Amino acid sequence: MVRPENLNDALKTLSRGGMTICAGGTDVMVYPPENARLLMVDRLPELKLIEDLGDAVRIGAAVTFTEGIESPIVPELMKAALRRIAAPAIRNMGTFGGNIGNGSAKADSVLIDFVLDAKLELASIRGTRTPDIDKFYLGRKKLDLAPDELIAAIFLPKPKGSWYYEKVGGREALAISRLSFAGVIDVRDGVITSLSAAFGAVADTVLRFKELEAMLTGKSLDEARAMKPDFIAAYDRAIVPIRGRVSETWRKEVCLNLLRDFLSQNGI
Amino acid sequence: MIEFVLNGEKVSWEGPDTERLLDVLREDFRLTGVKCGCKEGECGACSVIFDGELANSCLIPMAKADGAEIMTIEGLRELDCFRVLDRAFAEPAAVQCGFCTPGMVLAAYSLLKKNPHPDENEIRDGLSGNLCRCTGYRAIVEAVKLAAKEGGKW
Ligand SMILES: Cc1cc2nc3c(=O)[nH]c(=O)nc-3n(C[C@H](O)[C@H](O)[C@H](O)COP(=O)(O)OP(=O)(O)OC[C@H]3O[C@@H](n4cnc5c(N)ncnc54)[C@H](O)[C@@H]3O)c2cc1C
Ligand code: FES
Ligand code: FES
Repeated sequence: MVRPENLNDALKTLSRGGMTICAGGTDVMVYPPENARLLMVDRLPELKLIEDLGDAVRIGAAVTFTEGIESPIVPELMKAALRRIAAPAIRNMGTFGGNIGNGSAKADSVLIDFVLDAKLELASIRGTRTPDIDKFYLGRKKLDLAPDELIAAIFLPKPKGSWYYEKVGGREALAISRLSFAGVIDVRDGVITSLSAAFGAVADTVLRFKELEAMLTGKSLDEARAMKPDFIAAYDRAIVPIRGRVSETWRKEVCLNLLRDFLSQNGI
Repeated sequence: MIEFVLNGEKVSWEGPDTERLLDVLREDFRLTGVKCGCKEGECGACSVIFDGELANSCLIPMAKADGAEIMTIEGLRELDCFRVLDRAFAEPAAVQCGFCTPGMVLAAYSLLKKNPHPDENEIRDGLSGNLCRCTGYRAIVEAVKLAAKEGGKW
């Protein structure tokens, strides 16, 4: 076990190899790797900060979901998703970085990272880089993370306009989300200036279709209403769900219904 | 060597990094109020207070316990507020087989410490990680309401 005092020491240890990063442990400990040596990042001061950057919030990777919910700075859209994660004991230990490191398309905070175009801060002894979240997810459980890198923080832009969040789960609190949707739309003087929509737990990664979102940007609400059937049909063609426990057609139907509801709640 | 504070006492332990705190508490420290129901974070029987927050000890690797302050039901029993919880759980028959009870009491304590006057929904959310096969939860929710009404130094 290594419990470094600061980020620099953590990165040095990580660069020597042979360690498993651990924050909350709520994923690592479900199937604990035998004889694993854990690099504990849960109390690293650099990873525990939440900072207001004006248009965005920087959330340290080792900030827990409970700390996120209790923070006055974290956007309400993120909090809405955090409140739906499991139960208090999981939210008290589970972290933003661990949710990303887990690589799952079901990760509830990651859906919000996608819909808000978050960037990650990745650190190693070689330096830092800040990839866009959608570039960081390469495929099913595949992340663009080098063995000597760790996730230091998430840069989360604050949503502009109004947001919508829905999670359709099995058992209310505990079941890992089976399906989730988040949308953000900004309307100025009756014109849609930006729109984003993300679907969680449908495919190998969170889904977003920026080229489809572009169909409605710059359009008036009247024009958008007229285009709604085409818009939904385009998503119907684009979404290719994975085979899960819940049937594929059901998944897709729920996705499209949530998208419709998001638009109607915003006058479209 | 892993060192932590357990129910107010400094202790140390040696072993694999990924050993579950749950197993260490039960087997090495003989704190059998910590129950094992699933080892997957789903049942809450293994609840402890970890650095002031409710946690599932089955999901805490010993490496994480290093430097932490941990309280089990055995530690809570020494606090004044335990008597309030104890009475409240006895009154509406919130205890049947008792397997879930230590975890439920710790979850209730943790909730009341943050929110001394929770409403029904907040109570249900506070207990949502703790499963009970016997009572159907109604009596447990009543017990927490009772404890909140009586009040205590949480
Ligand atoms: C009963 C139960 C219910 C759950 N319910 C939900 C739910 O509703 N929604 C949801 O989204 N998740 C849920 N989870 C999954 C889990 O709690 C989350 O994914 C959580 O965010 C993991 O964070 P952690 O800090 O505990 O991760 P850890 O277990 O510490 O780590 C997870 C992975 O990320 C890596 N990692 C951790 N920190 C970093 C870092 N800073 N840099 C690089 N890699 C890192 C680790 O090496 C590991 O591979 C649930 C888990 C359980 C056991
Ligand atoms: S044994 Fe830990 S939650 Fe069930
Ligand atoms: S009283 Fe038996 S499990 Fe709750």
